[in-house]
Amino acid sequence: MEKGKSLKLAALLAGALFLFIFPHFAGVFAVLLLTEILIFALFALSFNLLFGYTGLLSFGHAAFFGLGGYAMAFMVQHFHLSMLPALAISTIVAALGAAIIGFFSIRRDEIYFAMLTLGFGMMIFTLVHQWRSLTGGSDGITGFEVPVLDLLVKKLSLFSPWAYYYFSLVVCLLGAILLWRLTLSPFGLILRSMRENPERVSFVGIDIKLYRWIAFTAAGLMAGVAGALFALYDRMASPSMVHWTMSAKPVLMAILGGPRVFLGPALGALIFYLLEHFITQYTQSWMIFLGAILVPIVIFFPQGVLGTLIAWAQRLIRREGHGE
Amino acid sequence: MDTLLINILNGLCYGMLLFIISMGLTIIFGVMGVLNFAHGSFYMLGAYLCLWLAPHIHNFWLALLIAPFLVGALGALSEMALLRPLYGRDISFQLLLTFGILLILDDAVKLIWGPGYHSIEAPKALSGTVQILGSTYPVYSLFIALLGPVIATALWFFFHKTAWGKMIRAAAMDREMASAIGINVPLLFTAVFFFGTLLAGMAGVLAAPLRAIGPAMGDNIIIAAFIVVVVGGLGSFLGAFIGAIILGLVEALGIQFVPQIQMALPYLLLALILLVRPRGLFGSE
Amino acid sequence: MRKAFLSLVVACTMVGFLFVPGQARAGRGKIKIGSVYIFSGFAATYGQFAKQGLLLAVDEINKSGGILGKKLEVYFEDSHAKPPIALRAIRKLVYEKHVDFLIGLDSSGVAKGVVPYLKELKVPLIITHAATPDVTGSQCNKYTFRVSVNINQNVMAAAKIAAQTKALKWTTVGPDYAFGHQSWEYFQKYLSKLNPKAKFMKTVAFPKIATEDYSPYITSIMAAKPDGVFISLWSGDLVNFVKQANKMGFFKQGYTVLMSLGAATEVLYALKDQMPTGLWVGTRYWFLANDTPVNKHFVEAYKARYGVYPSYNAQNAYAAVYALKAAIEKAGTTDKMAVIKALEGLTVEVPAGKIHIRPGDHQAVLNVTWGKTAADPKYPIRILKPMVIFKGEEVTPPVSATGCKMR
Repeated sequence: MEKGKSLKLAALLAGALFLFIFPHFAGVFAVLLLTEILIFALFALSFNLLFGYTGLLSFGHAAFFGLGGYAMAFMVQHFHLSMLPALAISTIVAALGAAIIGFFSIRRDEIYFAMLTLGFGMMIFTLVHQWRSLTGGSDGITGFEVPVLDLLVKKLSLFSPWAYYYFSLVVCLLGAILLWRLTLSPFGLILRSMRENPERVSFVGIDIKLYRWIAFTAAGLMAGVAGALFALYDRMASPSMVHWTMSAKPVLMAILGGPRVFLGPALGALIFYLLEHFITQYTQSWMIFLGAILVPIVIFFPQGVLGTLIAWAQRLIRREGHGE
Repeated sequence: MDTLLINILNGLCYGMLLFIISMGLTIIFGVMGVLNFAHGSFYMLGAYLCLWLAPHIHNFWLALLIAPFLVGALGALSEMALLRPLYGRDISFQLLLTFGILLILDDAVKLIWGPGYHSIEAPKALSGTVQILGSTYPVYSLFIALLGPVIATALWFFFHKTAWGKMIRAAAMDREMASAIGINVPLLFTAVFFFGTLLAGMAGVLAAPLRAIGPAMGDNIIIAAFIVVVVGGLGSFLGAFIGAIILGLVEALGIQFVPQIQMALPYLLLALILLVRPRGLFGSE
Repeated sequence: MRKAFLSLVVACTMVGFLFVPGQARAGRGKIKIGSVYIFSGFAATYGQFAKQGLLLAVDEINKSGGILGKKLEVYFEDSHAKPPIALRAIRKLVYEKHVDFLIGLDSSGVAKGVVPYLKELKVPLIITHAATPDVTGSQCNKYTFRVSVNINQNVMAAAKIAAQTKALKWTTVGPDYAFGHQSWEYFQKYLSKLNPKAKFMKTVAFPKIATEDYSPYITSIMAAKPDGVFISLWSGDLVNFVKQANKMGFFKQGYTVLMSLGAATEVLYALKDQMPTGLWVGTRYWFLANDTPVNKHFVEAYKARYGVYPSYNAQNAYAAVYALKAAIEKAGTTDKMAVIKALEGLTVEVPAGKIHIRPGDHQAVLNVTWGKTAADPKYPIRILKPMVIFKGEEVTPPVSATGCKMR
C-alpha cells in the first residue's frame, strides 16, 4: 500500500512536470490551445464535483463560468485592478451567484435539478445579454489587457502566451488539488454516499440540503475561477460564455472522460479539444464527424474513456495475478 | 383588447405546434426514460423531407402523411442501432448519445440540402386569411390551433382504447412489470421511439409553411419543448398539452406586455413551476 | 496508483499529438490567407457564400500567375458565430498556419471581440461582412480594414429614402442584439435630421435571434398603426418574418416598408415570389447595380461556377482578395507593414464598383444600393426596380465623426 501511494505521487508529479516542461518545446498555438484546455479542464472538474460526486447534473454551470468571466472583465476594464485582487473578486462574485442559485436548485434532483439550473442559467444569460450599460449587451466587454501579476516583491507581465500559460497552469493545478482534497475529505465521502443512497444518509441525521448547497457553491466558485481565466485568455467576456451551449461543454467532457474518476473530466476536455482541433483541420463539416466519433465512444466506453480504460486495465491485471 | 385576443390566438397556434413536438418527447421519456436531445433535429428533418417531397408529389397532405413516417423510421433505426446498448445506464449517457445524433443530423441536412434557406407555401385551401375582430388572421394558423386538440383527442383514444396504447402506458408506469406480463419490451421501445420521432417529424411538416426551412432550425425548439414537458410533468400526456398552451401564451403575451425581458420568460416560468410543483403541473411523484 | 499512472500516460500521449507539425513553414513562395466565417448553425449560409466568392477570386488570381509571382493559399475556419471560438480560429491560423493576411468575420459581436486582439497578432484583417461601426470607429486599429458596407452607410441611405416618402410615424422590427438596436438608433438620428417632422414610435419590436414565431410581434406592430416600418432582421430570421407577415396581411396595410438587408440574395432565393413587391430593400452589394466589365465578369463567372446569382457576402469576400492583391502589388512586397501602408488610401475596382479605403478609419467608401422589390420574368428572384444608388461620399460620415483614433 505504501509503495502504491508513493508510485501514485510519483506519477502525478511526473504529470505536473510534463505540463511545466512541455511549453519549452511547443509552438505558440500549442501553448495557447493547452492553456484553453487547462481552463476547461478546471471548469469540467468543478462541474464534476456536482455531477460525479454528488449525483447532480447541472445544466446551468456556465452561469458561474460567465459570472467569473464578466466580473474579471469588468474589474480590469473599469477599475484596472491587478491580477490577484481581480481574480479574488471574480471568484467571490461567482461563488455568491452559485450560493443564491444553489439555494433554490438543490431542492430538486435528477432531471428537475438539471432543468432548474438550465432555467437559472438562462436568466443570467438574459441579464448579461440585455443589460447593455453594465455588460456591453450582446457585444460583451472587449478590448482590455491582461493585468499584471503583483507579487509585492515583483510585478510580472502575463502578456505573453507562455507567461499566461504558466499562470493558468498554477491556478488550475491549485484549483484541481483543492477539489481533489475536497473529494477525499469526510465532506467528499458524505457527498458520495448521498449520491448512492440519499435516504440512508438522511437517516444518519445529515442535512442533505446543506451539503448539496455547499457542494454547489464550491463548484460554482471554481467555475468562476475558470471563467475569469478564460476571459483574460480571450481578452473578452461575451454572452456566449453564459449560454446553455457553454453549460453543455462540461457535461460532455465529464461523461466523455469518465465522471467517476477524479481526472476523468479533465481528460474529457483534452479529448474534446483535440478532436475538434484535428477535425476542423480537414473539414468544415466538423459536426458530423464529431457526432460520428462521440456515438461509438458513448456506446463502447460505459464509464467514460478514462473510467473504462481503468476498468479494463484492472481486469487485465487481476487476470495476470490469477495466472501466477 | 383586440390585440390581446389576437395575441392569445397567436399563442395558442404556437402552443399547439409545441404540443405536437413535446408530445413525442414526453412519450419517449415516459416509457423509455430517455431525454431525446435530438428531438428538435427530427422536427427539422420533417420540414426538410416535406421540402424534398413537395416537387415530386405536389400535395401537402400527402407529404404530411409520408414525411413523418420516414422520420419515424429513421428514429426507430437509430433507437435499435444506437440507443439499445445504453438502457440501464445513467440518463446522462443517453443525453450525450442523442446529442451526438443531433450533431450528425444537423450536419447531414446541411450537406444534403446546403446551408441556405428554403420556403414552401401552405396548401391552397389554407393559404387565405379571415377577418377576426377587425384583424386579418391567417387560415393556416387557425388550422394549426384547431389541429392540436384533434391530435390530442386522437392520442387520448389511442392511449386509452387500443391495446398498443394501453401497453405503452403500462410500460411507462412500470417497465419490469410490463416485461413480466409478457410485453415485448425491446419491440415496444422501438415502437415508442418510432412514434415519438414521427410526432416530431409531423410538427416539422406542419411548421414548414410557416417559417424558413434552414439548418439548425431544431436547436431552438428543443429547449422550448424541454420546458413544456417539464412544466407539464415528464411523461404526462395532459401535462404536455397544458404546458404547451401555457408556454405559447407566455411567449405571445410576454412580447405584448414585457418585451424587454421576454427572452427570460420561458425560463422564469420553468423555475417558478418547478419550485412550487417539484414534478411539474401533472407529473406524478 | 494505476489510475493516476494510466491517466498520465493517456494524457501525455494525447498532448504529444500537438507536436505533430501542421503544415510547416514550407511554401515560402506562397501567400497564405486565413479566413474565418460562420460555417455551422443557422447562419451557415454566410460562410458558404464567402468561401465561394473567395475561392473564385483566388483561383482566378492563381490561374493568371498569382500576386508578384506568388500563388495564394487559403485556410478556412468556422467561427460558430461565437467570439471566443472565432478568436481561437484566428490564433490557429496565425500561429499554426502562419498566414500572412486574414479575411473574414460575419457577426458584429465576433468582430468586436477579435479586432482588439489584432494588435497582439500583428496581422492585417480585412472584414467583409460584420457591420458594426465600432471596428472602424471607437475600436479602430492599424491592422483592421473593412471593404464592406457598414451600419452607418446602409442606414444613412435608408434614412434618405425614408425622408423621400410620405411616412412620418416610424417603428422598427430588428434582431434583439447590438446590430438591431444600433440600426434603429442610427435610423432615428439620420432621419430626424433629414426630416424634422418624422416621429419615432414607442411600440417597437426586437425579437431575439432565431425566433420561431413572429406573429405576436407582427400583431403589436399592426395594432400600433405606423406609417413606416424599418426592418433590420437578416437572413433566416427575415425569411421567417416575411412569411409570417405575409400570412397576417402585414404588407397590405399600406405601410412604407424598409428592409435594410432585404435584397440579400439568400433571402430573395428562399422567398422567391413570396417576397412582396414594392418594398424598399437594401443590401451590401447588388449584382445588377452596375454594368462595369469587372462586375459583369464576376456575376457571370460566379453564376457559371455555383449556379446562382452572387450574394453580397460572396462579392465582399471576392472584393477583399482583389483589394489585397492591389495593395500587395502597390507595395511591391508581401511584408505586412508595407501592405498595411498600401491598403491605407487604396482605391481599387471590385464588382461593387470603385472602392476607396480611407486612411483615417480604414473603412471603405463605396456605393450603397437600395431599391424597390419588383418581379421580372428574366430572373428567378425579385429584383430591384427602381434602383437607387447612393455615392459612397453621400452616406459615409466623415472620419472625425466615427470616433476613430488610429493607432
